[in-house]
Amino acid sequence: MSSKVAVIGVGNSKFGKRDDVSIRELSWEAVQESLNDAGLTLQDIDLTIIGSTAYRGVEIYPAPVVAEYNGLVGKAPIRVEAACATGSAAALNAYMAIRSGLAKIVLAIGVDKMTEVGTATSLAIGGRGGNYQYEFHLYGTTFPTYYALYARRHMALYGTTEEDMALASVKAHKYALSNEKAHLRKSISVDDVLKSRVISSPLKLLDCSPISDGAAAVIFASEEVAKKITDAPVWIKGVGYSSDTSSLASRGEWTSLRSAREAANNAYSMAGIVPADVEYATVHDCFSIAEIIAYEDLGFAERGKGVSLLREGQTEKGGKVGTNLFGGLKAKGHPLGATGLSMIYEITKQMRDEAGSVQHQFKKYIALSHNVGGTGHYAYVFVYSR
Amino acid sequence: MEGLPLYMKYQIPIEGYERFWEGLKKGEIVATRCKRCGNEYFPPRVNCTCGSSDMEWFEVKREGIVQTFSEVFSKPQGFEDFSYIVGIVNVGNLNLMCWLVGKPRVGSRVMLRTDGTRVIGDVVD
Repeated sequence: MSSKVAVIGVGNSKFGKRDDVSIRELSWEAVQESLNDAGLTLQDIDLTIIGSTAYRGVEIYPAPVVAEYNGLVGKAPIRVEAACATGSAAALNAYMAIRSGLAKIVLAIGVDKMTEVGTATSLAIGGRGGNYQYEFHLYGTTFPTYYALYARRHMALYGTTEEDMALASVKAHKYALSNEKAHLRKSISVDDVLKSRVISSPLKLLDCSPISDGAAAVIFASEEVAKKITDAPVWIKGVGYSSDTSSLASRGEWTSLRSAREAANNAYSMAGIVPADVEYATVHDCFSIAEIIAYEDLGFAERGKGVSLLREGQTEKGGKVGTNLFGGLKAKGHPLGATGLSMIYEITKQMRDEAGSVQHQFKKYIALSHNVGGTGHYAYVFVYSR
Repeated sequence: MEGLPLYMKYQIPIEGYERFWEGLKKGEIVATRCKRCGNEYFPPRVNCTCGSSDMEWFEVKREGIVQTFSEVFSKPQGFEDFSYIVGIVNVGNLNLMCWLVGKPRVGSRVMLRTDGTRVIGDVVD
C-alpha cells in the first residue's frame, strides 16, 4: 500500500484534426513523451489504464490496438469511459491501483480520434450523452443544446450575458497562442464570438470547444518509487468524484452542476484545503458558460457571480487563481478521452515551473483540475501539490 | 482511405411502458408514481429506488412554466428536417423536456399537449 501517489511523467500529443495519424500513432506521441519525461522504459510499467470514448473513431475497441502499438501487450487489461471526463476516470483508476498496493507504476493513456466521422454523426453521438429514450430520441437534443439550456437559465437568473460568456472564449484563445500542442491557435475578439453562427441558442460556434483528435499520457507512481525516480514529483493531495442523472430535465436546477460541487467538496476535504488556497486551476470549459459555472461550482466565486472573475481578470495569468493558461478545452482542444490527462499534463508543467511564457507565479504550489463528463453526468476534481 | 460504413439499427423494448408511448399517440402525457413511497418519476420507470415495483400511472398537469430553452440550429443526424426549440418545463413535482412552440422566455407559461409523437408546449405568455 502506498498512502501517497505522485505524477512522475507526462506526455501530450499535438491536438487538432489529425488526419496524418491513426489512433495508434496518436497515442504513441503522448506515451513516448511521458516515458522520456519520467526517464522510464516500458519494462518499468506495472499496469496501463486506457481511457477512450471511442465511438467517433473507426476503432470502437481501441485499447488493444493502442496497447499493442505502444509495446504494452500484457499490461493493459482495462479501458475506461466517463464521457468527456474519461481521462480523469483513467487517472482515478491509476490512483486506486497504486493506493491499493496492486501496482507501483501505472501509465494512464487517454486518446480519442473524434474527426473520423462527420459533424451530424458526431452531434447524434453527443446527443446520446444524456438520456437517450426520453430526451434525445424525442427532442433531438445535441450536446451543445444541453449546455445551452444551462446558459439560458444562468442568463435569466443571474443576468449573465452573451458578451460575458464570450470573455471565456477570448481568454482561452489568447493563451492557446503560446501552446504548441493546441488545436486552435488564433486570437479572437468578443465581437467574433457574438457574430459566429448559432449552434444551439444562446451558444454560438465560438462558445464551443472544437471537435479534436488527441492523446495524453500520465505516469503515476507510489511514494517510495516516486522519491527514487524524480526530484520533482507532483503529488495528488485529494481526489473527489461524483455523478448525476442521465436525464437533464429531472435535475431541477440548470445553473450549476451538483456533481461538480460534490466532487470539489470531497477533493478539498481530502486535501485539507479551502477554495481560496487554490493558486492554479484547469477547468472544464467545453463551452464558454461551463467555465463560468465551474468557477462557481469550485467555490472561486459565489453562485451567479462567476463572470465577475472573468471581467476582473482574476483568472488570468497573475490573477488570484490562474485558470486554463494553456488555452482550455476551448482552444487547446477537447479530445474526450485525452482531456482529463491533458489537464494533468498542463498542471504538471505549471507545478514544475516549466510553463514558459504562461508560467503562473506560485506561493504554495497548490493546483486543481476540474473535469466534467457529459453535462455533469460524471465529475472529477483532483488537488495537487509539489 | 474510407473506412467500412457501420449501419446500426436498434430495436428497443417498451414492455411496461406501453401506457407512455401509446399515450403520446392519443395526446396523453403520463408519469409513474410509487404506491409504496409516493415518489413520482418522469422519465417514467417501473421500479422505484425504494425497492418497490408497485407503481401506478398518472397524467401530468398540462399547465407548466418554462425553466430554460434552446433553439437547435446545428442539428443531429435524424433531425435535419425539423425546426425546433427544446424546452424544460416544470409541472408541479416534475420537470419534463418538450418542444416549445411560440416565443418562449424563462418563466413563460405553457400549455402541454402532444403532436402524436412527442410533448409540445404552446407558449401562452
